[in-house]
Amino acid sequence: MKIKENFILRNVAGSFVVVPTGKATVDFSGMITLNETGVFLWKQLETDQTKDELVSALLKEYDVDETTAQNDIEAFLKILEENNLLIK
Amino acid sequence: MKKYKIADLIVHLESKSERVIRQGKIYEIPPDSRFNDFSPDIIIKPSKEKLEKMFRENPHLTFDECDYIETGSIFYYKLLRYNGFMLHASAIAYEDNAYLFSAPSGTGKSTHTDQWQQYFGTEKAIIINDDKPAIRLIDNRFYVFGTPWSGKSDKNLDIKVPLKGIVFLEQSPENWIQSISVSEAIYLIFNQTLFALTQDQMNVLLSLLDQLLSRMVIFKMGCTISQEAVELAYQTLNQKQQEIQQQEL
Repeated sequence: MKIKENFILRNVAGSFVVVPTGKATVDFSGMITLNETGVFLWKQLETDQTKDELVSALLKEYDVDETTAQNDIEAFLKILEENNLLIK
Repeated sequence: MKKYKIADLIVHLESKSERVIRQGKIYEIPPDSRFNDFSPDIIIKPSKEKLEKMFRENPHLTFDECDYIETGSIFYYKLLRYNGFMLHASAIAYEDNAYLFSAPSGTGKSTHTDQWQQYFGTEKAIIINDDKPAIRLIDNRFYVFGTPWSGKSDKNLDIKVPLKGIVFLEQSPENWIQSISVSEAIYLIFNQTLFALTQDQMNVLLSLLDQLLSRMVIFKMGCTISQEAVELAYQTLNQKQQEIQQQEL
């Protein structure tokens, strides 16, 4: 799975925001704010990833146990899915 | 095409809208001006087909209004190329500082700036643009400009005033004001500016917001129709922005 095209992730005055441009504005209007982990996962998902790959990437980068990593990723993916931001 | 100077840009504009022509009068470049020889920064020439389609699909709009909306839209999208963006707001100047009061239509932006004029006097507190001021970053400073697209009111002036603060208004039974986080400010600004930007346009807007929000606190205010609301906004914005400037020193 990966993030749909035409979204921009930017640091604006210390806050990380994701906004749609061009065709993406048809399906998604508004913006997303991300925390540090969110930014990390979003960047991973700019290229195609499986859930397992996401978990191992997060474990490599952050000092968390596997259960926490899995739960965080589940929650993150759920939000992305609910907002129709993922291509499976 | 008529030649105008709007927000310090040379604009060549073709419009049949009486409102655009009337509200644009003060921006026209006089026949003897050297600006006549300058090549245009922005050309606004709405396509006839697009205007006719817009008119057909929006029965509540007159053809004049379609032309007004389309020419304004072309101007503000192209403004992004010149480090500028539009905010749906009533912009007022006082003591050579510009204050922007933004909110969805019908909240009372103009009603609030009207209170400023009553409080400070119409000679000292002047409306820069009552609906869609242009904000440009020039030489590392943000300025607010009047434009002909000022909504149904003719209230707009060909002036350039340094931006002092931005306040998002909501109606409230009592007066209160609070600073908001960067992410809330971005969210509120996005709701009151152009939408459906291309990637290039969005990158410009985000860079502008990055600079704006790095140096300026944005406020949210609940207000009654009163002079007390004016005092609260004026005092808070002057006090807060001063504190930030001191921190920078």
